[in-house]
Amino acid sequence: MVVGIDTGGTFTDLVAIVGGEARVHKLASTPHDPAQAVIAGIAELIGGAPAEIVTYSSTVATNALLEGKGARVALFTDAGFEDLIEIGRQNRSDLYALAPSRPAPLVGRSMRFGVGGRTLHDGTVQKPIGRAELAAIRKLAEKSRAESFAVCLLHSYANPASEELIAAALAPAGKPLSVSHRILAEYREYERLSTAVVNAYVAPRMVAHLERLESGLKTRRLRVMQSDGNAIGPALARAEPVRTILSGPAAGVVGAAALARAIGLGKFITFDMGGTSTDVALVDGAARVRTLSYPNGYAVRTPVIDIHTVGAGGGSIASLDAGGSLRVGPESAGADPGPACYGRGERPAVTDADLIAGRLLAGNFLGGRMRLDAARSERALAPLARAMKTDLAGAARGVIRVVNANMERAIRVVSVARGFDPREFALMAFGGAGPMHACELARELGVRHIVLPRNPGLLCAWGALGAPLGREYSLTVRDADPRFARLRGRARPLIARARAELTAEGGRPASIHYDLRADVRYRGQSYEIEVALSPRFAVEFHAAHRRAFGHSAPDAPIEVVNLRLRAWAEGPHRGSRRVSPPAGRPSPAGRVRIAVDGATVSAPVYQREAFGAGARIAGPAIVAELSATTYVAPEFDLRCDQFGNLHMEAR
Amino acid sequence: MKRAQAVRPPVDPVTLAVMNSRMAAIAEEMGVVLGQTAFSPNIKERRDYSCALFDGAGELVAQAAHIPVHLGSTPLSVRAAIARLDLAPGDIAALNDPFAGGTHLPDVTLVAPIHLPGERKPFAYAANRAHHADIGGMAPGSMALATEIYQEGLRLPPVKIVVGGAPARDVFELFLANTRVREEREGDLRAQIAALEVGAARMRAMVAAAGRAEVAAAMTALKDYAERLMRAALREIPNGTYSAEDAMDGDGFGDRPIPLRVKIKIDGGRAHVDFTGSAPQVRGSINANYAITLSATFYVMKCMAAGETPSNEGLMRPITLVAPPGTIVNAQPPAAVAGGNVETSQRIVDVLFRALARAAPKRVSAASSGSMSNLTVGGYDRFRGRHFSYYETIAGGAGAAAGHPGASGIHTHMTNTLNTPIEALEAYYPMRVTEYRIRRSSSGAGKFAGGEGLVREIECLVEANVSLLAERRKIAPWGLHGGGAGACGADYLVSAAGRKRRLAAKANALLEPGERIRIETPGGGGWGRAKR
Repeated sequence: MVVGIDTGGTFTDLVAIVGGEARVHKLASTPHDPAQAVIAGIAELIGGAPAEIVTYSSTVATNALLEGKGARVALFTDAGFEDLIEIGRQNRSDLYALAPSRPAPLVGRSMRFGVGGRTLHDGTVQKPIGRAELAAIRKLAEKSRAESFAVCLLHSYANPASEELIAAALAPAGKPLSVSHRILAEYREYERLSTAVVNAYVAPRMVAHLERLESGLKTRRLRVMQSDGNAIGPALARAEPVRTILSGPAAGVVGAAALARAIGLGKFITFDMGGTSTDVALVDGAARVRTLSYPNGYAVRTPVIDIHTVGAGGGSIASLDAGGSLRVGPESAGADPGPACYGRGERPAVTDADLIAGRLLAGNFLGGRMRLDAARSERALAPLARAMKTDLAGAARGVIRVVNANMERAIRVVSVARGFDPREFALMAFGGAGPMHACELARELGVRHIVLPRNPGLLCAWGALGAPLGREYSLTVRDADPRFARLRGRARPLIARARAELTAEGGRPASIHYDLRADVRYRGQSYEIEVALSPRFAVEFHAAHRRAFGHSAPDAPIEVVNLRLRAWAEGPHRGSRRVSPPAGRPSPAGRVRIAVDGATVSAPVYQREAFGAGARIAGPAIVAELSATTYVAPEFDLRCDQFGNLHMEAR
Repeated sequence: MKRAQAVRPPVDPVTLAVMNSRMAAIAEEMGVVLGQTAFSPNIKERRDYSCALFDGAGELVAQAAHIPVHLGSTPLSVRAAIARLDLAPGDIAALNDPFAGGTHLPDVTLVAPIHLPGERKPFAYAANRAHHADIGGMAPGSMALATEIYQEGLRLPPVKIVVGGAPARDVFELFLANTRVREEREGDLRAQIAALEVGAARMRAMVAAAGRAEVAAAMTALKDYAERLMRAALREIPNGTYSAEDAMDGDGFGDRPIPLRVKIKIDGGRAHVDFTGSAPQVRGSINANYAITLSATFYVMKCMAAGETPSNEGLMRPITLVAPPGTIVNAQPPAAVAGGNVETSQRIVDVLFRALARAAPKRVSAASSGSMSNLTVGGYDRFRGRHFSYYETIAGGAGAAAGHPGASGIHTHMTNTLNTPIEALEAYYPMRVTEYRIRRSSSGAGKFAGGEGLVREIECLVEANVSLLAERRKIAPWGLHGGGAGACGADYLVSAAGRKRRLAAKANALLEPGERIRIETPGGGGWGRAKR
């Protein structure tokens, strides 16, 4: 019996495989103590029997950072460099702000402690830390009001000895300890420092949370999703919670990839359009991972699935700006007051435009539990229509086009700008508003195939359920005359560490995969391309450089900057998903008038449940379900596959 | 001047928004390619570059937000390239001449025409500008204390660096023969070319998808749109004439301050900016050519137009600029200009904001550090057996505004480059950073205090040439409405034994192995009277 769980802000979703059968459950989250919903949900879903493996995506670290409710951190770093955490990279995020600002540093000035040693770039200890100083650190740690300690010294990736000395002096105080080279043995001090500090900031809450969870759960193995889509055991999650900050969205992409594999789909782009924001990610066989992200403005250099978020969704407000251009977002009506049609808001949102355009059915929202107020949408949109010198339908169409342009730009960021042609990919649309906008977005991008997953609300839980056990290890080597044999030798300690850690978490040694990779660049360049570390890695690098940037220089000297090891063991088997019953011809539940390219046409409305395996219809049409509405554009056909997923294909 | 009333297809609010998004996306994508393929830390790590799209007349249509000082000046480069060269399909122009469309010599601009199939005249242009870490001249880094442009490095009027799709080898060789770090320059130029190719390909794809007339109409409409936004922003400022004066510490040769004066007349959605009365151009290298003054003005006005405004030529239409030739804000050949781009540009911003603070006291910030504290170190690295050239700008304190204390150690106004990671610097150069911290107590007091400056101290392990180009070492960044001034910057040579020797703010010096250079940057001014 295995369980996958997604703890969201509002709901906690669970999926369990019991005797080869999938069971699902949903309950309200308990944000003050997320463990409660997890414990109660499992009891409600599978009763008292202990689960073999429970894997879940945690919002604990995320929320500590987003809400600014992390720990009081004391930072130990090189004397003379205590303020680096505040200086960052010296830059500002908004070029044209009259008063530039940046997020407040997570360590106050009085909590930064300079230490007098110094290590050089080649690992030489130029000046060791004195015994007296270590004793002083030990004393300071015992008296300190800090709840968590971070340690980051210059060049610790090249020689961690000095960091380890400080760590040993801090350890007796018994507080969470974040040591930079253990989390990230890579050069570029600010990003490593910031990663260690963010880790220290969220660690105490994660530790307390896992304690509550473990004491309340009868499970043989508990695992936590990381931002890169792999799961880790509680010991690692406690030590390095920074790796879990984007675990929820990552679980969603992993779930989408699992679903895609089941239907033989290798290349797709997720399009998750919600109320206030939209997430997109590109999957080419596997989800793409990047190594630097800025949650809430703080630099974190751990692997995360390359999810691009834009601040536009169903709640985004439309207005005409002073120059006469239509703007949609970033201002959002959110859930309160929400779009005008929810009954409280006054200003037109994307959802209002969707309603007026006929894609959203007033009587079918949340399965009919909430009736949308179309007249209110019209009243809210009317002033905008007048200003745009068009009618309500024209204004609605305009709002939809502009928000789609925002989405298109987001998708170009993860595809075109990364060297992928979106036309070779399918679009996997979900979220409350995704299926409503997918056809037009696909048309703009030249995408011909759209997948609408069955039970999209469970993608994250599904992703967690089958997530592999694994993590990434890296080491800066900066080898200017790279030879495969030597690099392979330098990677051995990484492999040993991976084997020890994953075995301790229940991975069978024989089932652990080791994917050894190298960050390579031309000597003198400062951007690296990652290639597999094989005897042919140099050839691979030249080819990859040419593919990404259109030129390469096979005669130029290259440099290997970092070694990366991705180690993982297969996750629990997700089991076979239930096959939909074969269907007769689906019959429409009614008809509705919808706006199509400037005209209004009559289109059938179907309930999603009406589609069994193999059912087919032609657009235009509307498909309604509990959590979303799908707009099938006239040039698309829709069919249902054997697992109950819907596919829209351009004719 | 009345604009020709050409017949234009109407562009509705929706198309405007959609095309704005697409054009901006192309410029951003060019920036991604340039940043990722460049060789030098200056471009990749510090992101000292910009990418932009222009219409067929050479007017700016979209520019990715990278470095403000490039904003107003790139159009002059493109127009210079168009005026002097007949750009055929597959050609790319390069230039850096400050008196023919450039800013200062290290900033090399590349311009590519974008031809549509079967057309002789370019439909549009793609351009980018990158700060090269060395362009020859009397000292490594090309930011030396010069008195003539001839000493500052290779001067490149618009020339074709790519002809019909193939690199013009002779021009490349001429260029590379005049720089100190040849491989790096060549890699950076290739990266610039790759970015232009991406921009051109995307523009052609957009025309193929949307139609030639539609894209042409959209480019025109986007400029008109930006113009309307700027007019609306200017109407928010009360009509009137606002004057201010500020000054540069000196030009490195004399000791007298060099005044900048401006008068801004705001009149019903128009602004007339007049620098008449500013000092004559000087002997040292802090002369700003016209492009710099235009960029700084563009930047200030874009800040005043809060919210998202597209960066295109239309923004400048409601603004007229007078910068008398032969002055510090419109220097003529053969003036040295390396510092005009990085230092005088900041003072032009300061004086403009000082004037606008009278018009919009609640919005405008007190003076920020007002100097990029440019440090260049170069020489022969005997450990690695090669020449090296390291360039860095060091941030300072931001000025405070109503409700906003100034940020510390942050780049403000005309630059936004990143610092070079210490762990990269020490691995590639014969240098060691011995201190890098916030300079405590350097901020201007106030109801809202200014930000603090930085201390950066670097030890040289070999004999090296050091050039420093810094400002606000005598005349402090001013506060507003009773707020105190930020502390002036100070710079030192520190001997191996720890003996400190004050260094002039604009200086070339020889550093012995083991000696250190210590830069303490200015703080920002405070806003409002501090409570006692």
